[in-house]
Amino acid sequence: MKQVRKQYLVSLGLSVLIAMLLGAALMLLTGHNPIEAYGIMFSGALGSMTDLGDTLYKSTQLAITGLATAVASQSGIFNVGGEGQMYLGALASAWLGALLKGTSPWLAIPACLCIAGLAGALWALIPALLKVKLKINEVITTILMNTIALKFCSYMSNGPLKTTERGINQGTQSISKAFRFASIDLFSGSNLTTAVVLIVFIILLVWYMMNRTTTGFEMKLTGQNESFARFSGLSAARLAVLGMLISGAMCGLLGMFETFGVQRRFRMDFSSEFYFDGMLVAMIMQYKPLGIVLMSFFFGILMTGGQRMQYIGVSSELVEIIQSFIIFLMAAESGLLGKVSRALTGGAAKKQEVKT
Amino acid sequence: MSQAETVISFRHITMAFPGVVANDDVSLDIRKGEVFALVGENGAGKSTLMKVLYGMNEPTEGEVWVRGQQVRHFSPANAIGMGIGMVHQHFMLVPSFTVAQNVVLGDEPRKGLFCDFAKARQTVEDLVKEYGLKVEPDDRIEDISVGLQQRVEILKALRRGADILILDEPTAVLTPQETDELFAVIRRIVAEKQMTIIIITHKLGEVMAISDRVGVMRAGKLVGVCETADVSERILASMMVGKEVLLDAIERADSGEDGVAIEVEGLRVRDSRGLEAVRGVSLTVRRGEILGIAGVEGNGQSELLEAITGLRPIESGRVSILGKRADGLSPKAIRALGLSHVPEDRIATGVSVKADVTDNLIVGKERRREFSALGIHMKRGPIREYAKKVFERFDIRAAGLDTAVGSMSGGNMQKVVVAREFSFDTPVLIISQPTRGVDIGAMDFIHQQIVEKRNAGCAILLVSADLDELYRLSDRMVTIYEGEITGEFKPEDIPKTEISYYMTGGRKEARA
Repeated sequence: MKQVRKQYLVSLGLSVLIAMLLGAALMLLTGHNPIEAYGIMFSGALGSMTDLGDTLYKSTQLAITGLATAVASQSGIFNVGGEGQMYLGALASAWLGALLKGTSPWLAIPACLCIAGLAGALWALIPALLKVKLKINEVITTILMNTIALKFCSYMSNGPLKTTERGINQGTQSISKAFRFASIDLFSGSNLTTAVVLIVFIILLVWYMMNRTTTGFEMKLTGQNESFARFSGLSAARLAVLGMLISGAMCGLLGMFETFGVQRRFRMDFSSEFYFDGMLVAMIMQYKPLGIVLMSFFFGILMTGGQRMQYIGVSSELVEIIQSFIIFLMAAESGLLGKVSRALTGGAAKKQEVKT
Repeated sequence: MSQAETVISFRHITMAFPGVVANDDVSLDIRKGEVFALVGENGAGKSTLMKVLYGMNEPTEGEVWVRGQQVRHFSPANAIGMGIGMVHQHFMLVPSFTVAQNVVLGDEPRKGLFCDFAKARQTVEDLVKEYGLKVEPDDRIEDISVGLQQRVEILKALRRGADILILDEPTAVLTPQETDELFAVIRRIVAEKQMTIIIITHKLGEVMAISDRVGVMRAGKLVGVCETADVSERILASMMVGKEVLLDAIERADSGEDGVAIEVEGLRVRDSRGLEAVRGVSLTVRRGEILGIAGVEGNGQSELLEAITGLRPIESGRVSILGKRADGLSPKAIRALGLSHVPEDRIATGVSVKADVTDNLIVGKERRREFSALGIHMKRGPIREYAKKVFERFDIRAAGLDTAVGSMSGGNMQKVVVAREFSFDTPVLIISQPTRGVDIGAMDFIHQQIVEKRNAGCAILLVSADLDELYRLSDRMVTIYEGEITGEFKPEDIPKTEISYYMTGGRKEARA
């Protein structure tokens, strides 16, 4: 077991290194100094409290969506529909938030949290039921349902729920100040809001559920070997549905955090496919919770700091190409670099096999 | 025929897999133009040996010579190049393609960039004419019978120039009528084309009907090669079974428990292909009794047990566990009636190979009060302690409790399954293939555990492909053939040679 993990880490490290070297080569070709550019990337992500705040904002976003993917995957069902679930959570909470305007935040915020989670979960329930009852591939249904959810949100936010505020021509009514997640003084100027506390709480809760509870244990077994779970008397179908519900609820909640935090209203462009970035992180880390959290932080640096490279004239397209290189190589590590790292750690691995 | 040249020569072939020696120093010559039958019980190593010839296995030791040349490179491509074809038990055809498309698949005639379908058709028609294997080139595979599909497989091999053909259990999926047709084809291609046929089978009647010579394998060794004309089914059966493995007798005691615990009546079950696999089976097992089901694999045993335990739907008939109706219930509800189950395929259904030993031992008990607070929070301390106790009691050999089960040997993996299921302490046990691929030490241990359960008053239904095991453990035995019970015996009343006769459909009518 440990041997496998070590080999994986070696190959992951190699991927990052090679990707950064490729990026450096690309920068040299276009006449930029890679050392300076990477320096700016890291200082842009970690150099000041504001930068750190932005990096944390991005990282926690990736971590919660990554874990949402992991919860479903560990129960044997693949949620590609997080984006749609997130949008519906955002829209539902924005609607309820506007409706409850003027009431106590102690009533409104919990109610909005509930409806956001519920919206995401219910939207996830449909593909989950289709999968366990009719064996319809959840990858296809969740992708299609993303489109439906986004178009629905677009219609609602440009039609029935469109803001009536003067001078603002997109999104829903703004969330009243009393309900908003405020920015944090320590990280002033960044996108980080007090919602981060809730995100961290949810991450811990999900980690606890997955690793320390009977239900999490049973979900994991179902994901590992569905016929073994059924054989052992577990309700495999129910556990898979549960995994999907939790995943959907997490996405819905993130939608609300964005709406009640950074955006202050529901806006159609609030997400630039957050969920898919998180999904990628989860897949790269093989759905291991701790790995997802750590890798989210690294991706957070990459995404936040990467943009700063533009300051020294690296074009934004090039920045994105370099980012994609790194992500691509990490995602492809098992195929491209698996062999190399097996060779590097191979001797020890073989000995281990014989022993056990 | 006795002076015929040798076309294939296996020399001291040993094929070892981790924990198992599947072929042990096998030497065998196959002559040109003969039909050679290879028989033996399951796991005797027949298929393994043939996979060596077809290049799917590279032998650990020994040499293979084909037409006087040593095989240096083991791969199916190379074997095909040497004129060897193999028709597997499970056909490898594309259902939505036509017969012609399947025959040329992998080596299609081309017209520029495109596949030349007209030529493919022509090729098949030529082959049909040449070998007399009638098929319609334009039929889709999914629309034709299993017997015809098999012909397509044979044609595929012939088209690639095979003149040595390996057939792995070719009649397992055929009706008697189709079997006769297949044999007619075999006779013709041997007589007219001087082809060499090697046929792997369980069915001794077929060996007598089609083969020139027969080789018997047992536990990885080739125990004899005979001219078919010189032997009888009875002799072959006794060669297949061989001498008993010498294990000490296990002490039996009367538990004092009585009463019927498992009752099955007129059970009918379909297999995954939708064919009727269990055809009206009735049986009962009493407390303190082990009922053994003897049969060649694939005669409905698996489906029978899956139906009893709720893993497979029942067509008709009823099942009672401890006096309560169990048919139609979920596996969970059936377990709750007081049943546990050691499944036939430990990797597919018996364990989670990715989880560690502790997790695999605790499954099904995780919600008990001693292992979780309020059925939610898992108490890691007590769970670990419990796992450690079971680990030691069942003598599981692994680096530790956190070893992934997938990295353990077959015997230890099986002990994990047995340990978990036996410690549910239920009055009914359904056990399938308890010691398949398990070394003799672990086997003896598992046998002891099974008899101990019996002595404590459990009702045990045992299915095994290993006759020695059934004889050692059973109080009573039934034979199953093609989904029907063909006889009931006390182990002490019937010699192994005779029972294997019932298992192969031999004298079905005599005592059904």
